[in-house]
Amino acid sequence: MQLHLTGSTNINAKRERVFQLLTDPNFIATTLPDAVEVAVLDRESLEAKLKVRVALISSSVKVLLRVADRAPPASARLLAEGSGSGSTLKISSTFSLEGDGTTKMSWVADAEISGLMAGLGSIVLRGFAEKKVSEIFAGITKGIEGASR
Amino acid sequence: MEPLFESSVREVSRLVGLQEKELALLEVADRAANELVVSEFERYIERKFNDKVPEVLRKYHLLGVPISEKYGGRGARQLLQALFMERLGQLGLGVITFADVHQCLGSLTIQDWGSEEQKNRYLTKAASGDAVFAYALTEPEAGSDPVSIKTTYIKDGSGFKISGEKYLISNGSIATNLIVFAYPEGTPKELSAFIVDSKEDGFSVDMKLEEKMGLFTSDTALLSFDDVHIAREDLLGQEGKGLHVAYSALLNGRLGVASGCLGVMEDCLNQVKERATTRVQHGKLIGKHQLVQRHIATIASNLESSRWLVYRAAMKKTEAEKSPSDPGLRLEADRQTAIAKYVSSRLAFDSADRAVQVFGGFGYSTVSPVAKHLVDTRVARIYEGTDEIMELKIASSILGKGFEAYG
Repeated sequence: MQLHLTGSTNINAKRERVFQLLTDPNFIATTLPDAVEVAVLDRESLEAKLKVRVALISSSVKVLLRVADRAPPASARLLAEGSGSGSTLKISSTFSLEGDGTTKMSWVADAEISGLMAGLGSIVLRGFAEKKVSEIFAGITKGIEGASR
Repeated sequence: MEPLFESSVREVSRLVGLQEKELALLEVADRAANELVVSEFERYIERKFNDKVPEVLRKYHLLGVPISEKYGGRGARQLLQALFMERLGQLGLGVITFADVHQCLGSLTIQDWGSEEQKNRYLTKAASGDAVFAYALTEPEAGSDPVSIKTTYIKDGSGFKISGEKYLISNGSIATNLIVFAYPEGTPKELSAFIVDSKEDGFSVDMKLEEKMGLFTSDTALLSFDDVHIAREDLLGQEGKGLHVAYSALLNGRLGVASGCLGVMEDCLNQVKERATTRVQHGKLIGKHQLVQRHIATIASNLESSRWLVYRAAMKKTEAEKSPSDPGLRLEADRQTAIAKYVSSRLAFDSADRAVQVFGGFGYSTVSPVAKHLVDTRVARIYEGTDEIMELKIASSILGKGFEAYG
């Protein structure tokens, strides 16, 4: 089952700084919600164990997250693949940055979900994904603005 | 707009005509429904009333859709109200139950039977969300047969006092106002209808009824009335004519349920389409197995078989409202509504059952959206007139006077 999500948010920090943090696995590691364990592998990737909860379905998912196609300070891709508790997921997302002073971050994500979690269907999962994504970006924005002070 | 709903709206617009303003309302309904997806599913899993429903409908000014604009509503004709309920129905019958009881059984009944003073006092609040309505007819010993009602009232100086119990009352514990039916004490004939304020002394929620097969996101309660004071001006309709009020309210409610069932079938179709085109078994997508295709074909046919029955009943009802002195039109609207509710509730249940079958093992899990429809939809064959009551109404409308199975 596939989900296509898009969105944008404004971050009160310079574009170069936003790009630097968003492509830094050490920074990403601090913004992941539901992370039980995180290990930064190198400057491109990290591995995390996430406790993902959708309604009462609670899954423990091991995810490999990789930064790719860096085009500083404008865009990069974040790729994630993981599985656990009968579900697998693959996410390919691209973010692009515009502006000076305040940076507008626009993002597009395509997720492929299979197994138990997919049984909830895209109507329900989309709602939960949008809610989760807004939490993630709120965390990222707060993290970047905090780190940029 | 959600694609299946959008195709309904487009087809109705092409064949019947919808004004810009009406289309705009349906766009808003679509946005509100999208906003309720997560909370409705979460509350279903938690088995709790979805308190986001009144909140979101209030935010989008959708709590008085069929109420006249004069009283702060949207002034929707029955067909538009049916389409609105169809969209909400995709979320499940829990949402429909709240909206149907508040708007159709509650507010519309006051609009149909209330005095100008009552309409001014209650409808504006109901449309804005400052008042929530419940409809209290059913009792432990009086289900399909309102003649068995035991709740009674006495005249008391400035008004009335009412005593008794009401059972399985949707919105019962959250309502600010209830339409309550009672007989005069010692004379169990000539039922009357009253508007009761839930803050009055003597009113209590005896029990929240949570041990249900489904419909967890809807509030259901057992209510107790112990000498509850009702002001003279809160008698609804003429004293002794409450049965007319009760039946006309049920007619409004039935159309709401029938419309909601269209949404249930649409969601079942969306869910099985996605499942059948993504899940692989025996080396191919399950949608390529012909026996799975049969279920999908049946759900699609169920939806189309019900859709125009519901729209037709809605249009008949508007026609009857425009000519209140024509009893023939009212009877025809009543008959069409009974047929629409009878067919669409059974076919919605059948569609949910087939959707569970297409989902296989996961469909049997309580966290599956199609299982939610299966357990929620069963009640549509019972409340607001059982299948059997609908059959009796339809048959007697064909056979004519003298063939009514009950008085």
